[in-house]
Amino acid sequence: MRNKFDRQLSQLNTELVTMGALCEEAITNAVKYLTDNEENSKNMCLDADTQIDKKERDIETLCLKLILQQQPVAKDLRVVSAALKMISDMERIGDQASDIVEIAPYVAKKGTLGETHIREMAEAAIKMVSESIESFVKMNLDIAWLVIEHDNIVDDLFDKVKRELIKSITERHDDAEALMDLLMIAKYFERIGDHAENIAEWVIYSITGEHRKRPENKESSTKGGIG
Amino acid sequence: MNKKIFRSSLLTVCLVLAATIALIMGLLFHFFEKQIQKELANEAGFLAHALENEGAGYFDSFDNKNNRLAGNNRITWIDENGTVLFDSRADVSELDNHADRDEIKTAMKEGKGMSTRYSKTLTEKTVNYAIRLSDGSILRVSTEQYTVVTILMGMLQPILFIMFVALILTLVLSARVSKAIIEPINKLDLEIPENNDTYEELTPLLRKIADQKETIGEQLADAHKKQKEFNLITENMSEGFLVIDADTNLLTYNSAALNLLEITPPADRSVLLFCRAKEFRGVISDVLSGIKAENTMVREERSYSLIANPVYEKESVIGAIVVILDITEREKRDMLRREFTANVSHELKTPLTSISGFAELMKAGDVLENDVTDFSKSIYDEAQRLITLVNDIIKISELDGQSIPYEKETVDLYELSKEVIGRLEKEADKKNITFHLIGGRAEIIGVHKILEEMLYNLCDNAIKYNKENGTVDVLVNQTGDGVNVIVRDTGIGIPISHQDRVFERFYRVDKSHSKKVGGTGLGLAIVKHGALYHHAKLSLESTVDVGTVVTIAFSKK
Repeated sequence: MRNKFDRQLSQLNTELVTMGALCEEAITNAVKYLTDNEENSKNMCLDADTQIDKKERDIETLCLKLILQQQPVAKDLRVVSAALKMISDMERIGDQASDIVEIAPYVAKKGTLGETHIREMAEAAIKMVSESIESFVKMNLDIAWLVIEHDNIVDDLFDKVKRELIKSITERHDDAEALMDLLMIAKYFERIGDHAENIAEWVIYSITGEHRKRPENKESSTKGGIG
Repeated sequence: MNKKIFRSSLLTVCLVLAATIALIMGLLFHFFEKQIQKELANEAGFLAHALENEGAGYFDSFDNKNNRLAGNNRITWIDENGTVLFDSRADVSELDNHADRDEIKTAMKEGKGMSTRYSKTLTEKTVNYAIRLSDGSILRVSTEQYTVVTILMGMLQPILFIMFVALILTLVLSARVSKAIIEPINKLDLEIPENNDTYEELTPLLRKIADQKETIGEQLADAHKKQKEFNLITENMSEGFLVIDADTNLLTYNSAALNLLEITPPADRSVLLFCRAKEFRGVISDVLSGIKAENTMVREERSYSLIANPVYEKESVIGAIVVILDITEREKRDMLRREFTANVSHELKTPLTSISGFAELMKAGDVLENDVTDFSKSIYDEAQRLITLVNDIIKISELDGQSIPYEKETVDLYELSKEVIGRLEKEADKKNITFHLIGGRAEIIGVHKILEEMLYNLCDNAIKYNKENGTVDVLVNQTGDGVNVIVRDTGIGIPISHQDRVFERFYRVDKSHSKKVGGTGLGLAIVKHGALYHHAKLSLESTVDVGTVVTIAFSKK
């Protein structure tokens, strides 16, 4: 019985890693499509998103089965409940990556990308997602904390991009629509960063059993908005 | 074991106790019953005698209250019709007719009769003895006797006490017995089973253990040997080697795989935790569904080839073997080869296109007389360029194959440099470049033609890529263990990013100007291969817009 439980737990772990890898794939391809406008990357991103949705359901079923049949306690229960929360964050990352892919054609044509810090934002977001998955794989607290710190970088970059876009809009009136789309994309990256941060927090929770206290100002920046 | 012994001992004790009680009860009760019947018959005899002699008046002497005469026994006198005439315990008027009683009936018929009757609770039994008197009336004497049940009830307390004692004794004894059996077994030295001194019943067991131990030892040694061989093979592989089970958990890996995937022990977890690249995941999921899978992946700027084979047991996949090959070098070589082919075709095609173009114009016939000479010259020049190129390619493939058809001899590099500079003076004059040859006699053993080619190419480059009014210094000097040839120019220099690659065939820093500058793009490649052939060290230092210094360090063997 225990043996089966252990096997199911390790299966859960593997499935989560796979789902995380799919998230990395989705966002990397979304960024590639945004910058290089390669049709192949778009398909790969959308494909990864479909797989992410399927994985979410699979993992959810597995978690519920684990809870019902094995009634885990202590750390095992934390791992299962953290997994349940993590998959919804991962699923959102996948959705936002495919959202970026959908808006990207309207932005890239106008060639406004190079003038803003959106590339840096994309890179920072990819890095956060990668590292949050890495922290889960290695069950490493240090990496998880690093991800949480990195969220500030993405948030700052978002503010920077926003200011740059405002400046562009006031200077060139014709491009306003494309620039607004770009702002949406920037917001998506910012949200992806938040989700990656959430994943890192769940990693911390499943290791230590304690929730990280969110600073007050953080609450307001993640609430509402687009996404 | 203790429990089992205890239970069986207790059962034995209880059975023995029950059997003993039953036996004693059966025998004694029967004996006592006979005794009572005998006494009853005697008493009845005496009473009958007295009654015959004294008549009914005899009963008057009975004191009903004390019942002395009759003792504990009940005496009843019944006439021949069954009517009770006297009873020592009850009022006669209340008693019914006794003619239907067994003992009375028998006595009327046979002179005497006996019967036994049990009370409703079975706790008491009445024994009746009846005797017929001479006048036909019946005298009956009855006495009460305890039944087996009553006696047993009376003995219950002592029996329970005995049972309790037996229980305690059994408990203690069975514990001691089982301890006596088990202790030698626990103390067995299983390392050397034959050396144990215990009771003989254990000897077959010990022999069996000894046999088994030997078999296990042999199997273990065999397994160790195989494991060692396996490790030796896998550890010496430069390829990463992984064995995984059907749940993607790592079973075995070699140190090459450990380095490639950065596996940190304990590594009994899923292999996907160590590498989650899309290609890797694809290979793993394919192979676990039973398909042989192959793919390439890029990880940290190195290319790997993945080859995975499923492992079957009874037609179901129980795991997979994954081999990871580092193909970075191969990929690089492939890329260079592709580049080389493309370059060669380009270099060959350019002059041929010119030749073909001029020839076409002349074929059409609408070329002026004067132009024919010009066109012919151009065709001749391009053809010469092609010949030089093909010659260079031949030279380089000779150097490549190390099959040089020339003899090695003593060559004075200073003299050789002087000769080469002399040949290039005309070229140098065009750009107003001055040559300085510094040094003295410096002899090495080598192939004159190749060395000349190397120096020519270096000096030629120093002119081609020099600025107007520049200088080229050629330093030939003898060092402790060889000769150094240094060619220094004041030219355009080579950017750092290209410095590694200029010795490659057909590599050009500025591809668009290759035709203007001339050359085949093989010059430095020939220098490199010539240096390799002579076991010389080749080095290059260059600063953009300042100049380039190429040093060849020959060593005297």
